[in-house]
Amino acid sequence: MNSPLDSVALFQIGPFPITQAVIATWIIMLVLVVGSGLATRRLDLIPGKRQAVLELLVNTIDTQIRETTGSEPAPYRSFIGTLFLFILVANWSSLIPGIEPPTAQLETDAGLAVLVFVSVVWFGVRGAGLRGYLKSFAAPNMVMIPLNMLGSITRTFSMFVRLFGNVMSGVFVIGIVASLAGLLVPIPLMALDMLTGLVQAYIFAVLAMVFISATVTDGQPGAATPPQKKDP
Amino acid sequence: MTIDLWGIGLQAINVLILVWLLSRVLWRPVAGAIAARQEKARAVIDDAQATQANADAAMAEVTKARADIGAERTAALDAARAEADTAARAALAEARTKAEAILATAKSRIAHETEATRKANAVHAADLSLEIAAKLLGQLNSQMVQSAFLSQLIEAISKLSAADRAALVSGLQHIDVVSATDAGADKDTIEKAICDAFGSTPNLRFVTDPDLIAGLELHSAHFTLRNSWQADLARIRKAVQDAA
Repeated sequence: MNSPLDSVALFQIGPFPITQAVIATWIIMLVLVVGSGLATRRLDLIPGKRQAVLELLVNTIDTQIRETTGSEPAPYRSFIGTLFLFILVANWSSLIPGIEPPTAQLETDAGLAVLVFVSVVWFGVRGAGLRGYLKSFAAPNMVMIPLNMLGSITRTFSMFVRLFGNVMSGVFVIGIVASLAGLLVPIPLMALDMLTGLVQAYIFAVLAMVFISATVTDGQPGAATPPQKKDP
Repeated sequence: MTIDLWGIGLQAINVLILVWLLSRVLWRPVAGAIAARQEKARAVIDDAQATQANADAAMAEVTKARADIGAERTAALDAARAEADTAARAALAEARTKAEAILATAKSRIAHETEATRKANAVHAADLSLEIAAKLLGQLNSQMVQSAFLSQLIEAISKLSAADRAALVSGLQHIDVVSATDAGADKDTIEKAICDAFGSTPNLRFVTDPDLIAGLELHSAHFTLRNSWQADLARIRKAVQDAA
């Protein structure tokens, strides 16, 4: 068994190393896009079972966004929903024999964390302006600026480490058990891995939403820092 | 352990592309379908509310029209009832007037008929009485009665004015001395008494008329001196008829 911390490049496209995780990501992207295209081919006013499932998914994500941010979900739906779907499918892809989930590789989780970091900046600037976004670092007061800047980095780091640790450990444990105990023994662990994958996808998406929402909210004019004590 | 930054960037780009693709093939179409259904539902609800409002307005109009019809019906019934009462009162008054007129006419006719019947009965009774009296008096035509009538005749002649007596006597025409039965032997006595009463000798002629019943009368062309029970009965009949 290879070290989960190492990623082996199968081939190279320019400067980009194409690993198994990248290929799995492409497959997942293909499946999601083609599947979504097929599922949303004919959407009627009166939904069938397929459309009802899709609408349930969208409504659930919208509800989560609305409850987290308190605002309309439309601007965040694509990003948060795609994050959740991709991570969920990537986590559950470990159930297919021979497929190693992309989220069990550091590069994928780090890439997702980078996207969340960039989206926080993007949505923060778009929602509160550049000044508002910079002001969000001064919440609740100016003293917190260094800590908030550090926190914005560490929380991103913690996100991908959490996701990587949970998924990688699940894959690693199942691999060890399967190599030691035969065919049917890892099944309970695989079921647990499914639950872990669902929870991690949910946590990652909700945390991304919370970070974006906090930045947008702190940058609003109404969310001013407490009044500073003036010297006489 | 090595972290490949190019690998991180590639995966980030992959996910970013996936975000872009899914936003077009999944999130927007499904959200659009949900929004379209919500819009349609809202439109249907708005239409239903508008229809409900129209129905409420129509119901209000119908209710108002029904109330108006009820009021008109009540007014029409009241008017018809008042008109019927007026007509009934007028008809009753007219009928009462007609009945009273008929009653008055009937009463008047009955009174007239009663009066006429009473008069007819009185006349009939008088006639019957006089007929009975005439028959009874006819049985009393005796010498003494005749003498009494002669006395009454002489008294009546004496009550005439001298001019009247002279005019009767001076006439060339004769004077009829009418009696109910033939005077017979009493003619001379009667003639002498009459001549004495006139104070001259008139041209007398004795005539018998049984209709006199009893009595002596003088008839000339222009003068009649009534002195008989026939005349008395005729006078009584006239008096009774006048009294009736």
